[in-house]
This record gives sequence, structure tokens and C-alpha cells, in this order.
Amino acid sequence: MTKIFKALETMGAVVVFAMEVVRSTLSRPFFGNELIRMMWLLIIRCLIPVGLAVAPVGAVISLQGLEIFRMFGLDRMLSSLLGTAIFREYSPALASVMVAAQAGSSIAARIGTMRVRGQIDALAVMSVDPMRYVVVPGVIACAVVTPLLNVLTNFLGLFSGWVFAVPLGGVDHGAFIEHLTAQVTPADLWVGLGKCCLFGTSVGLIAGFLGMRVSGGAEAVGKAANDTVVATIVLILLVDYIVSYVLLGVGV
Amino acid sequence: MKTFFEFLVFARYAVAAQFSGLPDRRILAEQVHRAGVGSMGLLTVLTLFAGLNLSVQSYSTFERFGGQDFLGMFAGIGGVRELYPVMAAIVCGARIGANLAAALANMKISEQVEALEVMSVDPMRYLVAPRLWAVTLALPLLCGYADVVGIGASYYGAVHQLGLDGGTFVSQLREFVHLEDLLVGVFKGLIFGWLVALVACFHGYRAAKKDGAEGVGIATNRAIVHGAVLCIVLNLVISWILYG
Repeated sequence: MTKIFKALETMGAVVVFAMEVVRSTLSRPFFGNELIRMMWLLIIRCLIPVGLAVAPVGAVISLQGLEIFRMFGLDRMLSSLLGTAIFREYSPALASVMVAAQAGSSIAARIGTMRVRGQIDALAVMSVDPMRYVVVPGVIACAVVTPLLNVLTNFLGLFSGWVFAVPLGGVDHGAFIEHLTAQVTPADLWVGLGKCCLFGTSVGLIAGFLGMRVSGGAEAVGKAANDTVVATIVLILLVDYIVSYVLLGVGV
Repeated sequence: MKTFFEFLVFARYAVAAQFSGLPDRRILAEQVHRAGVGSMGLLTVLTLFAGLNLSVQSYSTFERFGGQDFLGMFAGIGGVRELYPVMAAIVCGARIGANLAAALANMKISEQVEALEVMSVDPMRYLVAPRLWAVTLALPLLCGYADVVGIGASYYGAVHQLGLDGGTFVSQLREFVHLEDLLVGVFKGLIFGWLVALVACFHGYRAAKKDGAEGVGIATNRAIVHGAVLCIVLNLVISWILYG
């Protein structure tokens, strides 16, 4: 019973924290330089892990999908499966998971370290709101950078899928491109980007929340970084499923 | 690049320590319990949604050419061969690997590892080897467990949410998902578990006292990211060799 109350309390605290972040974002002062620095940092740090994580997925879908589709002589259709799967599901989900693992955990660790060293309190003493200076740039940077990275990984995933389907798998190039352009709609792309934006925001929020709650020593910092990743991965998969289900019902 | 060579050196000592005999049974049991049973809850939740999503999301693609009935095969093969092992590896990296890295980094920073060395206890054999064994043993089991949960979830999604025929789904599974596929998945789990543990121990072990609290955060972060990326890339390599 205590566990349930604890969980409810945490959820409530997250909501309060999110409100606070929104309020801090919409009112002045706004630390633009910090935001740009943060975004740049995220892009540089996440580019390689995100690219490396998503690129093989396209190849694996081609590899396994080709075997299945070939049983029915439908290997020309492979690209429509590949396109929808990459654009809608795997690129947004995996890119967000990697952003959570790389950026989310390091944001949480950074805020947690600042907390442990008393730097957060020092900021507050200097009447710089730590919420505005430390948390808000992280949240906005994650929300903006994740969709940007997703655009890149869409192409990477598609390209690696193409490599395994056309030169290595023996599918006709014209048929591959034709089914891709005919079956994959801009809606698929927008769904993916929307998801990324949502996931990115939640990565930033959870990282900020858990980082600010750190108390104690080095161990608590590691735990906050770890919990951020675990919580966001669960959230990403949960939201992913709900979105697919709703979209299937709506028929998009 | 320097890190990579350091990793190779570390891996050489760690593997030598790992295969110089089974570690103390009590420590091993504790580590397996912590890694395996501790991750089951998280893995259950994740594979549940991944399995459901695998059905729901690929439905519209198969519907376009009237192939809904083959969803069972697709969910089975795609899940057992690829999705669930990778899933288990990422969960393993995010939870077990991160814990290992954080614990070792913490010991390193508070100079407990040096204390062990002073007492002439080899930290590789005492700290690293049991952890390597534990994760290598636990992850294949987690993989098998994820297969069961994931396929169950795919079945539920296909039959109860998409209204497909349950009998067709099961007969598809029986016809197309072979024992080899399960074994391939479990084998992948074995490799991924060992790799994730090795990477996590390496990053934990690299933390130095001067890094302080930040070092623990960096070690955890790197353990998660490097573990996940390595597993995903390696998954492609294994699949390519086996099915390409």
C-alpha cells in the first residue's frame, strides 16, 4: 500500500514539475545562449550513437522481411513494409531510446552532480532560477533535437534497408522505389516526427525531474542517470503502442 | 581510439579472470539473482508493449495485399529472431549494465578497489568475473522469457484487438517458427549479455578518484550507450551471417 502511495506521490510530483517547467519556459528571463549551447552539445553527442543504432535496424528488417515476403513471391512489396516500419516505428522509437540513453542520462547526471556539489543552491542564491537556467534548456533542447535526429535516421534506416534489399537481396531497384513512394505517405513521416517531439520532451522532463531530486552522494547521481533511461524507455514503448493502436482505429 | 585499445586490454584480463574457474557460488547466485530477477519486471512491461505493437503496427502493411493471416508468422519470426533478443539486450544494458558500471565506478572512486588490491585480492577475479558470469548466464534466460511474453502479447493484439483468427495465428507460429529460431535468439542473448557486462565493467573500472560523483554518471551513461549500440550492430552481423 505504501508503495502505491509512493508511486502516486511521484506521479503527482512529475506533473507539478512539468507545470513548473512550462511556466518557466513561457515567462522571462529566458536563457537563449544556454539553450543553443545545449542543443549543439546534444547534436554532437547523440549523432553517432543514434545513427549507429538505427542504421542496422533497416538492414535487419530487409534481411528478415525479404525471406518472409519471398515465400509469397512478394519481394517487390518489401519496401512498403520497410518504409512504414522505419518511418513510423523503429526510427522514432530507437532514436528516442538512444537520446534517452545518451542525452537524458547525462543531463540527469549533470544536474544531479550540480545538486550534490551545492551548485544548484549556489545558483538560487545568486538569484538565477535553476529551473530556468538548468532544466528548461535541457527540456527544449531534447524536444527539438530528437525530431532533427529522426529525420537523419529515417534516411539512414531506409538506405541500409535498400542496401540489403537491392544490391545484396536482388530486389529490382525500380520496384523498390515505386512501392516506397506509392505506399509511404507524408502522414507516416509526420507521425514519426510528432512521436519524436513527444518522446524528446519527456526525456528532458524526466531527466530534469530525477536530476533535481538527487540527494546524497555519487551513488545517487548514478541512480538518477540510470532511472532516467529506464523510465523513458518504458514510456516510449508504452506511448508507441498506444499511438499505433489509436492510429489503426482512426485509419491513418 | 585509445579507449578501444584500453578496452581490449581490459577484456583480455577480464576474460582471463572469467575463465580461470567458476567464481564463488554465493556471490554468483547473488549477482544472477540481482541481474535476472531484478530485470524481469521491466522486461515484462517492455516486451508486452513491443509484442502488442509488433502485431498492431505491421497489420496495416499486410492488409494492403490481403496477407493479414500471415501476421502470426511475421510476429513470430521477427520477434523471436530479432526483436526480443535486442530488446532484452537493451534492457540489460539500461538496467543491469548501468548498475554494474555505477557500482564498480563507485567502488573505484571510494578507493575500495585499491583496498582490495592492497589485501592482495585480485579485483578482476573478485569483482569482475562473477558479474560477467552472472549476466552471461542471466540474459539467455531473460531472452527466452521475453519470447514467451512477447509472443503472448502479439497473439493478444492480433486476436483480441485486430479480430484475426486465433487458430490461424497459432498454426502459423507452429509452422514457421522453428526450434532453431528460438535457439538463435537465446544464443544472441548469450553473446549480448557477455558483451554488455564486459563493456559495463570496463567503463565502471575506468572511473578514477579525481572524477568524483561525475565519474559515476559518465560511466553509467557510456555503459548504456556503448552496450546498446554494440548489441544492435552485432545483431545485424549475426543475422547476416546466419540468414544472409
